Amino acid sequence: MNFTQQLVNGIVLGHAYALIAIGWTVLLGVARLVNFGHGQMYMLGAFVTWYGVSRLGLPYFVAIPVAMLVGVAVGYVMQRVMLQLTLKQDLVSIMIVTLGFGYVLHGAAALFFGSTGQILETPFSTKDIYWGDLWFTYQDIAIVIVAILFFAVLKYVIDRTRIGRLARMVAEDPQLAQLAGVNVRRVYLGVFAFEGAAVALAAALVAPRTPILTSMGFDEVIITFVVVVLGGIGSVTGSYVAGLALGLFTAFFGAFVSPAYATAAAFAVLIAVLVVRPGGLAVSPGGR
Amino acid sequence: MNTRPVLEATNLRVAYGGNIALDVPRIAVRERELVGVVGANGAGKSTLVNGLLGWSRGSPKVSGKVMLDGKDMSRLPPHERVKAGLLLIPEGKLVFTQMSVEENLAASVNAPHDGQGRRHYSIDDVYTLFPRLYERRHHLGSQLSGGERQMLGIARALRLGPRALLLDEPSIGLAPRLVSTVLETVRSLVDSGLTVLLVEQNVRAAIEVVDRLVLLERGRIIAEGPASEMRDDPRIAEAYLGAHVA
Repeated sequence: MNFTQQLVNGIVLGHAYALIAIGWTVLLGVARLVNFGHGQMYMLGAFVTWYGVSRLGLPYFVAIPVAMLVGVAVGYVMQRVMLQLTLKQDLVSIMIVTLGFGYVLHGAAALFFGSTGQILETPFSTKDIYWGDLWFTYQDIAIVIVAILFFAVLKYVIDRTRIGRLARMVAEDPQLAQLAGVNVRRVYLGVFAFEGAAVALAAALVAPRTPILTSMGFDEVIITFVVVVLGGIGSVTGSYVAGLALGLFTAFFGAFVSPAYATAAAFAVLIAVLVVRPGGLAVSPGGR
Repeated sequence: MNTRPVLEATNLRVAYGGNIALDVPRIAVRERELVGVVGANGAGKSTLVNGLLGWSRGSPKVSGKVMLDGKDMSRLPPHERVKAGLLLIPEGKLVFTQMSVEENLAASVNAPHDGQGRRHYSIDDVYTLFPRLYERRHHLGSQLSGGERQMLGIARALRLGPRALLLDEPSIGLAPRLVSTVLETVRSLVDSGLTVLLVEQNVRAAIEVVDRLVLLERGRIIAEGPASEMRDDPRIAEAYLGAHVA
């Protein structure tokens, strides 16, 4: 087994995981909310991109923002419906409602896009790069570059800008944030809309690596959950590190042991980490 | 002193479940006036200032009319009242503990500058007022002492350009020397143009700085008047100042 090839696979997979998880990381960090419809939002992002490229003939670079806009709309509507639950921090109801949203999205997508598996081809996904014994695609490079840029920009926005400060204020204490004149409802709506856009971007970039199905999404929720919890709930840096670590672990475990048990092994690692560090790899709240 | 009320509430009623925690027919604070609200634990002091802003960490039912400079605030959510110039510095958690002092002071939203009688304090203004905050500007809120947090809470409110300031129990947990410092600072802010409603359990300290005193008991105002007169009111003197009135 080629160690370097697995290293490349792990790096690409890790950045893909981190990218898929980033929306939920911010959602959890700022609004203290979970979204079990996250996987179906990923699926929708993939299919909207595919529909734009394959059916409407849009250039890939146009289909991506279209998918992100659809993601924003879905996230906004979802949060608008759940606003009172969010303000009350009624987590059990929110879990059920988001799970329900996921199923609604799944059904609606199957109705509109059909149940047949599709391949999302992009200008990058079909171009291979061979470098000695190593093989990867331009799509892989795009995933890594976009993930790094996205995380860097997000970290800057959260740490250094007024919007980031408002988000951190709401994350730490929504009631106190109101006393500083912050419209907490608007922040919650914005965070959900951001999650929708972020997961759609992730889908548009990552989904070309595998066939897409309207029934997919469950694996993405599980992976996202592992990355978010392992990274420390709400930590942007932690999510990046956790995504990368999980990608490398999955690649090497799959190569040296068996891909069939990679998810089970990842959860074993998650449990071990949480026993040693209950706050995850990073513990800073508020999306930092 | 201008006699027009800057802040006025009528028929203010706050209820938790079916229990009425506060029932105040009228309370008003005039321009550049410092009004103290005193009373025993559970008298409804915090409920009063929270009710004026329509804010709470619980879920009370608030009714009545709250006017700021003649404008009805009653239907506005708390953050809109803050933007209008009605500021509350709550009891307990005053600052964002995960943010530095600088960030706490910078984090506030941009309030409109068109309000009458509103002074928007710059960062330099608040550091001049509280030099200790300048020294601690890179420290996290969680690293500050109780007195420093109180200063930061006031400073953050000043940055928003308050028209009227609601201050809830600023002396809690502070050393006696700091209590005087904080209350004297509040007095100096009023003298420079601010309008303040001060909730305070430390009646002895409060009566030295306020213009008028309101005594609350079981959610109702049972006495009010100029501080100089209220000092001799037997309900104040016996219960809070330790004096025996014949």
